[in-house]
Amino acid sequence: MTDRQHQPYGDEAAEGSRSPSRSDAPPTADPVGEGSPTAPAGDEPERTLLPIATAARTRAAVAELLRPHRRLAIGGFAVMVIATAVGLLTQPLLGRIVDIAADQRPPSALTTTVLLLAAVAVAQGLSTAAGLSLISRLGESVLAQLRERFIERALGLPLEQVERAGSGDLTVRVTGDVSLTADAVRNALPELARSLLAIVLTLGALAVLDWRFLLAALLALPVQIHTARWYVRRAVPLYAEQRVANGAQQQQLLDTIGGSSTVRAFRLEKEHSERVEERSWSVVGLTMRGVHLVLRFYSRLHIAEFIGLAAVLATGFLLVRAEAASLGTATAAALYFHSLFTPVNSALVLIDDAQSAIAGLARIIGVADLPLPKEPERPLAPKDSSVAVAGVSHSYRSGHPVLHDVAMALRPGERVALVGASGAGKTTLAKLIAGIHRPTTGSIELGGASLEDIGPGAIRRTVALITQETHVFAGPLADDLRLASAGATDAELRAALDRVDALSWVEALPDGMATVIGEGGHRLSGAQTQALALARLILADPPVVILDEATAEAGSTGARALEKAVSRAIDGRTALIVAHRLTQAASADRIVVMEAGRVVETGTHDALRAADGPYAALWEAWSDTRRSPNHPEPGS
Amino acid sequence: MAGQRRDVVLGSLLGAGHQAGEALVPVVIGVVIDRGVAQGDATGLVLGIVALGVIYIGLSFSFRFGARAGERAAETAAHRLRTRLVGRLLAPEGQAMGGRLSGELTNIATQDAKRVGAVCMALIVGISALMGLLVSAVVLVRISALLGLVVLLGTPLLLWLGHLLSKPLERRSEAEQERAAHASGVAADLVTGLRVLKGIGAEPAAVARYRRTSGDSLTATLRAARAGAWQNGLVLALTGVFIALVALVGGRLATEGDISLGELVSAVGLALFLLGPLSEFSWVNAELAQGRASAARIAEVLATEGAVLSGTGTLPRPVRGRIQLRDVSHGSLQALDLEVAPGEIVGVVATEPADATALLGLLARRFDPDSGVVELDGVALSTLDPGDLRTAILVAEHDADLFEGTLLSNVFAAADSADSIARAMAASGADEVALTLPQGGGTAVTERGRSLSGGQRQRVALARALAVDAPVLVLHDPATAVDAVTEAKIAAGLRELRHGRTTVVVTTSPALLAMTDRVVLIEGGSTTSTAAHVELVRDHVTYRTAVLS
Repeated sequence: MTDRQHQPYGDEAAEGSRSPSRSDAPPTADPVGEGSPTAPAGDEPERTLLPIATAARTRAAVAELLRPHRRLAIGGFAVMVIATAVGLLTQPLLGRIVDIAADQRPPSALTTTVLLLAAVAVAQGLSTAAGLSLISRLGESVLAQLRERFIERALGLPLEQVERAGSGDLTVRVTGDVSLTADAVRNALPELARSLLAIVLTLGALAVLDWRFLLAALLALPVQIHTARWYVRRAVPLYAEQRVANGAQQQQLLDTIGGSSTVRAFRLEKEHSERVEERSWSVVGLTMRGVHLVLRFYSRLHIAEFIGLAAVLATGFLLVRAEAASLGTATAAALYFHSLFTPVNSALVLIDDAQSAIAGLARIIGVADLPLPKEPERPLAPKDSSVAVAGVSHSYRSGHPVLHDVAMALRPGERVALVGASGAGKTTLAKLIAGIHRPTTGSIELGGASLEDIGPGAIRRTVALITQETHVFAGPLADDLRLASAGATDAELRAALDRVDALSWVEALPDGMATVIGEGGHRLSGAQTQALALARLILADPPVVILDEATAEAGSTGARALEKAVSRAIDGRTALIVAHRLTQAASADRIVVMEAGRVVETGTHDALRAADGPYAALWEAWSDTRRSPNHPEPGS
Repeated sequence: MAGQRRDVVLGSLLGAGHQAGEALVPVVIGVVIDRGVAQGDATGLVLGIVALGVIYIGLSFSFRFGARAGERAAETAAHRLRTRLVGRLLAPEGQAMGGRLSGELTNIATQDAKRVGAVCMALIVGISALMGLLVSAVVLVRISALLGLVVLLGTPLLLWLGHLLSKPLERRSEAEQERAAHASGVAADLVTGLRVLKGIGAEPAAVARYRRTSGDSLTATLRAARAGAWQNGLVLALTGVFIALVALVGGRLATEGDISLGELVSAVGLALFLLGPLSEFSWVNAELAQGRASAARIAEVLATEGAVLSGTGTLPRPVRGRIQLRDVSHGSLQALDLEVAPGEIVGVVATEPADATALLGLLARRFDPDSGVVELDGVALSTLDPGDLRTAILVAEHDADLFEGTLLSNVFAAADSADSIARAMAASGADEVALTLPQGGGTAVTERGRSLSGGQRQRVALARALAVDAPVLVLHDPATAVDAVTEAKIAAGLRELRHGRTTVVVTTSPALLAMTDRVVLIEGGSTTSTAAHVELVRDHVTYRTAVLS
């Protein structure tokens, strides 16, 4: 072995600090890390995490992924074996130089051996480069395949399942686990492969020199095995604790820094400084515990090194004295053992990288293994854009019904407003019609076909659900829009933007529609983001639209502008609008009023006002403050 | 950094001891081969092994305690920096964010602080490596001047050559790695927007896009990996050729009897060992460079000037609550005049959102006016300590964040008394929020309040502001995300709770404006009208459009 044979101080120190302090989550990748399980709020049901693959399933899945690359795998492995084996010729050649000197042969006798040494070096360099290339190609191809399947399944997951697991679960898997596994494949895997090969082949080479050298070297083994087990037993829970503490610190910093203007306004500076200090100090404490552990680990490995080295030297002494080996052979044996330090240390250190990567892999495979949502065997297509809800009751937790026997019908092209106080069940009904949850009892039909018969894929092409939750997809603005309609031309994109009054500001962006927006790009305001969502809706062009308070967060001035855009975006579609601004309700074809999970009233704005029921009361509360002598009919 | 001097010195001393020990291991192996194995002398062997044992104990302990001291220094330094950074970010003078995103600042407080702390460790490693180099040099030159020269000149040359050859590869690999990282970024982004994707049935398009990104990323990664592999191979080959050279020189010296066989073995061992400390220098260099860059980023935040100067004036107590803005210009505001009498409840309608933002900033003293004066009870705000001022005027922002904890702990955060909490909860409608949550007021709030719905969050934030019992309360759009009935209830609750204490509500909500004593209309940066809501609705066209359309 001609790479670094002995770990210098800094190298070990760097290794040492790697495990405890660099194993923490990447800076922003894990904003909702394990330290901050999102707590259930509202009427959310109990948490059920997404599945995690068993160890056996993880192995099987990896084998499946490797199978198509069998030849690459075998080829890569073979080349690495050759590279390592060639490298192992170095020590005997050095031994031969010792023998030549011991036999006091002329200096010219050295030439061949030295040339061979140089040739070995070049051959080892070339074959190692080739082997590492092959192995990383194998690892990276498999990784790419895995992450593509993961994303496919993750995006295909029923929202219901994602919600049950908590929003953090999937995010952590995609940010934390995927990059953890990628890092392992990129850095740990080649290193581990090389180290293991070097260890096995070096031990083999020792045996070739003389089997007794192998026995001597193996004396170090019990100490090493014991050390590794001792370490893993302590390291795994400690690192888990560290991840939690790191997550908590990250969360606290985001909380405090992100909310700093609130902190200042309410004079909470002292309290927040203390919270940050406390979390930070607990991270320091845990990191130091990790450092102590790693350092004790190295101390034990030093003992193993010493035992083995002393044994090999003693064996050399005995064999040379018994004339069973030459001085050169004894030297080669000592050099072999000395060269084992680096691969043994790296292999042992890589154990915990490998462990956390395997844990991450199990979580990725858990999702990648999920079946794609089941489509019905004989799917029915909706005949028109009508919606019919009949006898629907729903409860998230049994015994806590949120909807009671709800019935309603939307004619094709009809615009219906859903009105009621917070917690009346409007959002739940919207989600049921969009096919996100399945109603506990009752039926929902789109164009005369029940949701089950239509199937999840077609439901989503038929019903669009736009909520106050928005997201700007990172990348050029045009790409964001094309998610809704992959083949849309620039002119179509422009037309959609124009319809929602967004074209002017989009064209005023630095690069127009090519401007990079979203995370790390140009920041859009809340109203702009929502306008973009409406443009996407126009491009996706679904026959039925459900808007769940889609304009709520835009602030009062922005909301009015957005309402106009909404009105144009849903033109020609069957629309159910969950609204708390009653002007939106007043302009609808029909209004459905809900109270405590029941439909209590339905009719046109005028009819309901005349009926003097709950809607009239709502309208009274709303318009009371708006009425003015000159304008007795506000909002209409 | 200076605070860690003791640990750094201790670490350096012990680290130096460790490196000296590591350097001596190949030397002792040579001695054992010479004295013991070559001469068949058991005493020599045993003595050698004992010496090896002593060296091992020494190097092991100095490594353990040296590295411990170094890490302790690094972590403590990082912790101190983190605490100072947060202190600056929370300072009442403000503006420390300097337009940075909170994620970026969190990064500075964690990663950059850590890198600066790591400089402690880098110093120790550098000093230790120097010691290893020194011991090897002394031993080698004592064995043979020629051999010593070959090794001592050869190793740096070899490293330099390796560096030179791998530089283009490295540069390429870095660029490729950046592109490779893109795939994981896109994946995270798509998952974050999962609901939006599902809302319009765009999952297939998203999956197709991700496949393309992932494929591009794979190509880039493979190029990077190949570059890395060749760099690795290159260094291996160079090292091997160098060892052959040392063996040639050493072997010749040994065959000519100038050095012993053991010394030959030691020399070869030392040549291999030296590559370690020498390559450590480039690592130390890189760490120091990173540490410098991180330190610069931290220093920049720490040195950000406050948006306002801390004043020395004092507020007359008790605060009566007269607010007066005279001829104030700032941002979009132009010669604005505004007066609020003690105990008055005033609505402010700004046709331009920028005017509202500027007014709120001035009242919270996040900045001072360019010209004109803002006064509280006749004292100019710019003469007051901003922290002190905020105990008198509470500006509750529209997008105020909630913090980790429970619903109640959030309301409690700055509250005066348990009594005021109960009243604030009722007035803001937060009591109803608590009723609908599974654990009531004890329900955990996470993700800065994002675990609640918009309407729930708004009511809890309003309760927190009302619980403070501030002499002057300024509310910005406090009820935009609640339904009409709740909004009306909040308006009534506000009126009752704030009765007799100065309250400014910046909003365009008619429900809230209707309960105020009078409303001030700001158009184009200055006050154009002031009257009761009903009158303005009746007489003022602009007002009607702004509020009622």
